[in-house]
Parts: sequence; structure tokens; C-alpha cells
Amino acid sequence: MTGASPHGGPGSRTTVGPDGEVVDGAPTDPAVDRRRHVSDYFRLERWELPGTVADGPPAIAGRTPVDAHLRGPGGGLRTGGLLTSIDSLGGFTSGLAVLPRWIVTTSLMATVSELSHVGPLRLRADVLRRGRNSVVTSLDVVDEGAGDRHVAAATLTCAVLDPDAMTLEFERPFVLAMPEPQIDPVPPDEFFCIEPGEGAVTRLRLEDQLRNPWGILHGGAVAMLADEAACRATLTAVPGAGPEHGVAATDVVLHYLRPVKVGPVEARCTVLGTRAGRTSVRVAIHDVGSDDRLVTLGSVTVLDV
Amino acid sequence: MSFTGYPPPVHLLADLGMEAVLTTHTTARVRTRVTPQVASPGGGVRIGVLATLVDVVGGAIAARVLHPDWLATADLAIELVGPPVGPWVEARGSVVRRGRTTLVIEALVVSVDADGGDVTVDGRVPEPVAWASMTFAVLPAKEPSVAAELSADLPVHWGFRGGALDGPVLDALLVTVLDGPAGRVSVPVRPYVHNSFGALQGGVIALLAEAAGAESLGAAQGRDGSGMVVTDLQIAYLALGRVGPVVSSARVLATGPDGRAGAVVELRDTGADGRLTTVVNVTAEPTDVVVGVAG
Repeated sequence: MTGASPHGGPGSRTTVGPDGEVVDGAPTDPAVDRRRHVSDYFRLERWELPGTVADGPPAIAGRTPVDAHLRGPGGGLRTGGLLTSIDSLGGFTSGLAVLPRWIVTTSLMATVSELSHVGPLRLRADVLRRGRNSVVTSLDVVDEGAGDRHVAAATLTCAVLDPDAMTLEFERPFVLAMPEPQIDPVPPDEFFCIEPGEGAVTRLRLEDQLRNPWGILHGGAVAMLADEAACRATLTAVPGAGPEHGVAATDVVLHYLRPVKVGPVEARCTVLGTRAGRTSVRVAIHDVGSDDRLVTLGSVTVLDV
Repeated sequence: MSFTGYPPPVHLLADLGMEAVLTTHTTARVRTRVTPQVASPGGGVRIGVLATLVDVVGGAIAARVLHPDWLATADLAIELVGPPVGPWVEARGSVVRRGRTTLVIEALVVSVDADGGDVTVDGRVPEPVAWASMTFAVLPAKEPSVAAELSADLPVHWGFRGGALDGPVLDALLVTVLDGPAGRVSVPVRPYVHNSFGALQGGVIALLAEAAGAESLGAAQGRDGSGMVVTDLQIAYLALGRVGPVVSSARVLATGPDGRAGAVVELRDTGADGRLTTVVNVTAEPTDVVVGVAG
């Protein structure tokens, strides 16, 4: 496995993990369904678009509401949440494109054009290139509540995993209804176990519910950590940042280098520079409990909002 | 290190006068002069030229690290940070991770003086010019298109020597704007812009995407392309542009209250049945908002 964020498909039956461990499609903790836990938090609905099943790679659409507890300083869905949905939908689409093989996300490049959302947001993922070793998928996000105003564009690259590593089965065309609202929703930092703090280093506790079916940290959680860490670093390092409502992440590049297995996970930020209310932050994410190895490297552009 | 026959004497990389040094087995530096020919509308260096610099430094490292296998750039992301303040800009690249099928490299672009030393302003090293990262796909060594001659001794210095640009870099590339608001910009594929596979070089692709993004985003705000500075490129290289001309199209996403705007630019090889070769997320800002006034 070359990357760090393999996607367990919702509704799938997993039998063997990428490292040969038996997963059997069932979560360790019966209260936590690792196949869907993170994407369910954002209530991501998914459906396969007509006419794309029989020939060629699939195209998958998704929809996520913008619940109050998920809104960030920009007024819309926090960028980390947006990236989680992008990663989930794009990864799943890429995986369907290479069945019976599966994928692991290796890089995510996203630009957020609108930080204030009415909601719900509608996503669409299309496979741009399906190669022997990798899949490239484009994603588009629009705000249905604002006349399909554009919200974000992203490109997701995935490495194709060894076909012997797992067995995944799906009913086609694939449909997954929107999960019900949570009765007592927790804010994202709490859900993703991001410890309170400020400064250049932000830490995430690798709790069991953040692991995917393969037992490693969900790529969306990595994105959420990068978002939060870059914003905290900006607020600490840049005098006068976020003078009105705070700061929010926009352009994001993440290279998923290695799986996160142990934790805790630290995002170490370097503020590269600031101009015109826009701060560039380099983010290096380390798995502290795994010899402190570098697991994700990227950059986040943080805007005053 | 040199690549047999690449680049040819008359080539963009030679005209940019790039000078390079492999400092260790996994790090390298490549620099080019800050000249009016490579200036962006905001006064800094065009992000497409910086991307070319980054692509070269990454390629130099990757060729050495992956030898005898070969490489192809899979993605490249670059963002402007601060204005150049010296006579040269230098990309300093290093390996982040070597995997079985991919290699990830990071590069910081900084201002340097004629001797290659860091430029200081008021006794301080200023913020970098840009930050970049890229992924290379590993191509198993069957019949590499060019032979890499590796020296065991480090550092290794080399330069791409050619004539200097006598006009704007986009003119040297023969870039033609077909339809500015639609982001339709064309570039012919010829030896001057070839990569080692005989297809459109990755940096040239970045320059084309920069031009297409600026034209379309400028038009959306009632400006021409020279009224916008592209600050971010996120490039996914999907296929080689071998035949040409390669023509772009752009989809404007949104424009913020300060004029900051984004577009998705697609590049197609019109000589190869319109094959999609590249998708680029472009972010730009009006010249009166940004940034990069050369010092």
C-alpha cells in the first residue's frame, strides 16, 4: 500500500484487509460502523448516475446538508468537512472504477471558491483517468440552496491496491440514502478528537471510531486536522488575522504518504507568508506513536473571513 | 547529470538559462534569472515559470533517485507566497517519500543573489516566493526515452545554456489567445517545448494553464488577462500532449468580493482527437490586490 487513506465502501462486504488481516466487513465496536462512520457524520448521501454503470468508469453524485454544528467561520460547511465529503465520494468513485481491485488516496488538491453556504451541497465525482496503478477523479461541489452556486473543485488521485488484498461487493447502481440527523450532534473538533489548543502544533487522538475498516485513520480526519491546524497556526502567528469572524481554509493540497496506524497524530505547521488577508501554511502531519513518521504533507491557504 | 540529447540547444529551458546543482542524492537546487521576459502582470515572476523551475528540480531529483527507472510527473501544485526580492529565484527540492510506484517531492522557491546566497532584507531572510509539491509516477526501466548519466560524486552542477528570451515567455512559446472569456488558449507542440518524451513539457503546460486562467477570470471581471495574477496552480497530468496544438478551455467557478477567483482549466490535444491531457485548478487575484512586485 503506497498511500494512507483507503476507503471502505458503504454497503460493502469486506473480507480481507490490505495487510492481510481479516476484517469481515464488521466493525470491532458494534456501536461504530467503520465503513460509514465518518461520512455519516456529515450525512453524505450517494447515488450512482444513470448510464455510467455498464461501460466505462462510474460517476457518482452526493449530497450533504450543512447542519448548524458543522458551519465554520465562513458561514458554510467547514472546509475540513467539505474535504472529508470530497475524499469519501471521490475515493468511493475511484474504487468502483477499478473493481474488483480497490484504491487508496494518495493526493487531494482542492480549491474552495465559496465559504458561505445555504445548503445542501451537491457533489459530483467523475473519473478522469483510470490507469493500471492509479485513478484520477475530478470533483465538483455546488450549493443547491443557492441556485447551484459553485463551492469547490477538487482532484483526487488514488493508487490501485493489490487485487488479492480484499473482496468488495456492491449492488449496482449504487444508492445510499442520507443518514438521519444526529439527535445530539457534537462539534467537529470533538467528533474528530482534535485536542483544544493554539499555536503551530495541533494534536488528534486516534480513537477507534476514526479508523476505517482497515484500522487506520480516515483520510477525511486527516483533512479536518490539516484545516484546523492551519487555521490555529495562522491565528497565532499572524497579527490581526481574522479580524472580523476568524479565518477559514480555502486552497488545500494534501499528499497522503503513509497510513496512520498508532497515534496520537500531530499536525506541525509552518506559516510561509501572508499577504492581503491570505496566509500560506505548510502542514506536516506525523504519527507520533509510529516513530513519529511523516504521514501527510501539504499546504493550506487560510483566508480572513 | 545530463540527459542525452535533452533538452536540445534551442529549447525553452535553455532560453530560461536555468542553472542546477544536485546537492545530495535526494536534494537539488535549480535557479533562473528574474527578468522582464518572465514577469507576471503583478511584477513578480509568472507562476508558470516557477512551476517550470519546480518541475525541473523535481525531475532532476527523481531521475537520480529512481535510476534506472524513469518518471513522469503525475501532479504538481504550486502557490505564490511572497514577491521575489533578488536577481534570481531558486527552487530547492527534496524527497518527501519514495514509494513503489510514486515519488513525492517538495520544493521551496526562494530569492537568491548572483552567488546563490540567500537574499536578505533589513538583515532578515524574506518569506519564500512560492511553495510547491509534486508526485512522480515511476516508470519501470524497459526502454527509457533518455539515458541518465549519473555521477557518483556530489554536488553535480549543470546548466541549460541557450539564447536568452528576447520577448515575453508566452510569445516565445507561440501562445495564442483564441477566446479569452472561454479561456481558449493554444500552444503548438514542437521541439522547443518538448519534454524528454517528445511531448509538451510540464512547465509549459503550467504556463498555458496560467494564461487560460488569467484570461477567463479577467474577462469575468471586465479585465483582460493582464489584469490578473495567478497565485495557485493545482495540476493533474493525465496524458501526454504529443501532437498539438494543445488548446485550453476554462470554467470560471466564482469570484469573491476582493476579486479573488477560481477556474478549472482543461487542456486537450487537438491533434489527437481532442484527448484530455491535463486538468488544472487555477486561482487568481486582480493585480491591484496582489503581491509580487519585484525588488
